[in-house]
Amino acid sequence: MSRIKGFCCNYTLSVEPEALKGEGLIPEDVDLERIPCTGRLEVPELLDAFTQGASAVFVVGCQIDKCHNLSGSRRASKRVAQVKKILEELDMDPGLVEMFFAGRGETEPVVEAARIMASRAGAGSRPE
Amino acid sequence: MEGLEGKPGQFTAKVFQEPRYINEDLCTACGMCTMYCPRPVVDTYNERLEITRAPHIDYAQAIPSSYYIDAKACLRVNFETCNLCAQTCTAGAIDFSQKPKRLELEVGAVVLTPGFGRVDAAVLEKYGYGKYPDVVTAFEFERLTCASGPTEGHIVRPSDNKTPKKIAFLQCIGSRDETCGNGYCSSVCCMYAIKEASVAKEHEPDLDVSIFFMDVRTMGKGFDEARRRAQEKYGINVIRARVPRVDQVDGRLALTWTSDDGNHHSGIFDMVVLSVGLESPEDAQILSEIADIELNHYNFCSTRVDAPLSTSRDGVFVAGAFQGPKDIPESVTQASGVAAIASELLAEARNSKTVSITYPEENKALEEQEPRIGIFVCHCGVNIAGVVDVKAVRDYAASLPGVVLYEDPLYSCSQDALKSIAEKIKKNNLNRVVIAACSPRTHEPLFQETLRSVGLNPALVEMANIRDQCAWVHAQEPDAATEKAKDLVRMAAAKARLLTPLEQPTVDVTPGALVLGGGAAGMSAALSIAEQGYNVVLVEKSSQLGGNLRRLTWTLDGENAKAVLKELISRVDAHPGIEVITDSTVESISGYVGNFTSTIATGKKTRLVNHGVTVIATGAREYKPKSYGYGESPRIVTQLELEEKLARGKSFLKNARNIVMIQCVGSRGDDMSHCSRLCCTQAVKNALKLKELKPDCNIYIFYRDMRTYGFYEDAYREARRKGIVFLRYSPDKRPEVVKQSRGIKVRAFDRLLGEDIEIPANLVVLSAGIAPGDNQELSKILKAPLTSDGFFLEAHAKLRPVEIAVDGVYLCGLAHGPKSLEESVAQAKAAAAKATIPLAKGKVAVAPIVSRVDQDACIGCGICESLCPFNAIRLSKVGKRKKAQTITASCKGCGICASHCPTLAISMGGFTDEAIMAQIHAFSGQECSEG
Repeated sequence: MSRIKGFCCNYTLSVEPEALKGEGLIPEDVDLERIPCTGRLEVPELLDAFTQGASAVFVVGCQIDKCHNLSGSRRASKRVAQVKKILEELDMDPGLVEMFFAGRGETEPVVEAARIMASRAGAGSRPE
Repeated sequence: MEGLEGKPGQFTAKVFQEPRYINEDLCTACGMCTMYCPRPVVDTYNERLEITRAPHIDYAQAIPSSYYIDAKACLRVNFETCNLCAQTCTAGAIDFSQKPKRLELEVGAVVLTPGFGRVDAAVLEKYGYGKYPDVVTAFEFERLTCASGPTEGHIVRPSDNKTPKKIAFLQCIGSRDETCGNGYCSSVCCMYAIKEASVAKEHEPDLDVSIFFMDVRTMGKGFDEARRRAQEKYGINVIRARVPRVDQVDGRLALTWTSDDGNHHSGIFDMVVLSVGLESPEDAQILSEIADIELNHYNFCSTRVDAPLSTSRDGVFVAGAFQGPKDIPESVTQASGVAAIASELLAEARNSKTVSITYPEENKALEEQEPRIGIFVCHCGVNIAGVVDVKAVRDYAASLPGVVLYEDPLYSCSQDALKSIAEKIKKNNLNRVVIAACSPRTHEPLFQETLRSVGLNPALVEMANIRDQCAWVHAQEPDAATEKAKDLVRMAAAKARLLTPLEQPTVDVTPGALVLGGGAAGMSAALSIAEQGYNVVLVEKSSQLGGNLRRLTWTLDGENAKAVLKELISRVDAHPGIEVITDSTVESISGYVGNFTSTIATGKKTRLVNHGVTVIATGAREYKPKSYGYGESPRIVTQLELEEKLARGKSFLKNARNIVMIQCVGSRGDDMSHCSRLCCTQAVKNALKLKELKPDCNIYIFYRDMRTYGFYEDAYREARRKGIVFLRYSPDKRPEVVKQSRGIKVRAFDRLLGEDIEIPANLVVLSAGIAPGDNQELSKILKAPLTSDGFFLEAHAKLRPVEIAVDGVYLCGLAHGPKSLEESVAQAKAAAAKATIPLAKGKVAVAPIVSRVDQDACIGCGICESLCPFNAIRLSKVGKRKKAQTITASCKGCGICASHCPTLAISMGGFTDEAIMAQIHAFSGQECSEG
């Protein structure tokens, strides 16, 4: 299991995650999963990523007012906030889970999110 | 142009001319004004990648070779201040008193050649252009790859000026895209992308270049071969996919695409080049109103297939990209063609306004005296004098033997300097002149003219290039440059002493043309030459005129091909200037430009024809398929056979449910290596016809790349819309035609499904390519080279597209390569235009630099004859032995014969061995003994 788990909305990232890794644009140990809508992510699923061994988890959804499914990313950001609380209760750093937003088809914010989380988790160095 | 009134032969064109503020007759293009001007302006010629100044010239080869002032930026024009350039211009060429002019021109014909416009920036924005700095247009990239461009040919990313490692070219930007209104194919982008990619790879061998095509449309002559070479030599990746958008990630560019097996791919690139298409000119609408001509639905000039260069208004013609997107060879061809059409219209007026120059008689006595040399060392403003100590060179020249005059004019090529040189030659009785200035390539004719004007043979001037080859290249070392200039002058003077007058013979031209081949091209060429007032003998191999056009029933734009044919034949038959000889072939052609004699064989009879020029229009033929079961069933036919069947009626379609067409039969490596250019359009045309006659039949077209270029793309789109199924195959998985007891099946690999499919076919139509005619023999008779594909080879693809290497022989139609009817007609007109040049002049001037054979030294070995690429030297019997003889009218002065002659019997005018040896000895400082 990779140390950082990312979920991103189908309508953000336009490039295959493998191509980004191949070019060294995101760290090797980031597992980026494209899902149809971030709105379907449930709290247990996010927590499960931690139990599976991830040291940081992030979600990238549509811009909050431009969500493809209208309220998907808003819903996701609420779930992420809940997970933050749970982490606090568990005496973990709430910064290890984060919500990001990206415009339609934009790859750059996703790459940026992956890097931020990698540095928060102290995982790997920032690639060139 | 602001207005056009009148009728063909008598137009009045109102033209508005903006001032350039620089007198083009005085400007010497030295560049001083640009250097001193304080006003920077964006260099639009360099695609805004560089800065220039208000007075500038777009590029060194611009015509006229004069600078102009950008009035919008100029301080003097706008605020009456500055005036710096006028003060620095030593030629006094800057003239702020110029005013806009309104001219009324009396003309007989008008030719519209406004070129093409730019694709709207909004279209490019979709691909990140303007937003991401490393997304550039192909025009910008072209400037980057150009050695004289803003980066001197270094490929750099605009964002950080670093060399990119991975470049992607995106094709069809603003072409084949209905969302921006450009449904047509721009025809040129596939090839230019491959060219730019090759140039980039040549410069940066480690570059990774991918080109994203919809179809690879390299259908021009030799283009497919060039593409294949580029792919093999440079390893350029060809990807068939349309990239929807460009995204920037961390300063690099991300692309995603879907290949035709349905898989998604992504890639990160350092630079993206948008292969933008050719748009109609920006002011097309205005032009159409002023010239009163019709435009097509894409705002290009509307023309007909049988008259591709005529607009809807009589006497107004069109050529180039305004008629439809096209490449340079085709534009140049059309330009020549349109000249022929205008000449047809204005044949009567030919030579009515000619001014001829008379020269004083040559002073032979003076020429034979001991050399009296005049040396003129040119300053060329600061171009030479800024580096070389011109006065020291001039004084040095005084010390050379035979020199009686030495001067240093500021600009020796300016009108008044030329005048003063002429006067000084006369006054000092000079009989040899050395001009130490720039390149003889550009300026020698000018000085030769000066010599002629004072009765000296033009061969008695020698140039030393102390600008391009000295001052310019040694700008950092003025002392050494001055020494080199002295060397060059000493060498030129040594050669000048041995210069001899050369004859400038002229040869009379037989005022008639021989046209070989009576197809659409041959007939069009014959008609054009005859309309211009010269006799034509038209030789046709078969029993009737028409050639391949006989087999066509309709043209793609719905015109009746039979009517086009009938019209052409009746015009040829009715023309008193054209003699048609059918059932005949050419047995031999002897002679040279202006004086050909041909033997025409009709059955067993032969007759001789004298003619001044020869036009090859021998055509080509439909390839006879060797595969796909052709000939084994009446249900497997070629496209032309289908068209002939359709012309007879549609009853054979009664039970046809499925019709399969297979492209590239014989072409593109199947048997012949070239692309036959026409078959895609031909297939689409026939498929649409079939669909019209029998709407419920299913039509499948197996293709490799659909090459429906230009406006033919409309038909392709229509075919797709009407439900015709297009399936791409790759050459290693060709469709198979399987004959069964009951009917035929076509088995093929469907790339979308990823599996083999079988289509029961009631009719299989093979798009057989265009095979060259039997050109070998004619090629030998004329010494006209063939391409590796067996078509005739033009002298230069872009500069001389309808001439061949042998003077006086012209080329058009399918004999030159596969092309459509309208392209054949345009090319035929172009060949006619070129062919009438010697006919109209009446004399062929022979360049003085030709080879000469010393008949005493010649041993008749024939090496020269076998090597001459221009058929210009041959053996003939002199007394008992064979001797070589130069046909001066055909000689190009290349010197191949002279350099190979084992007995040194051949010398080149103006470049004798003695003179060259003297020049070499002078370089080492030794004076050569005479001879």
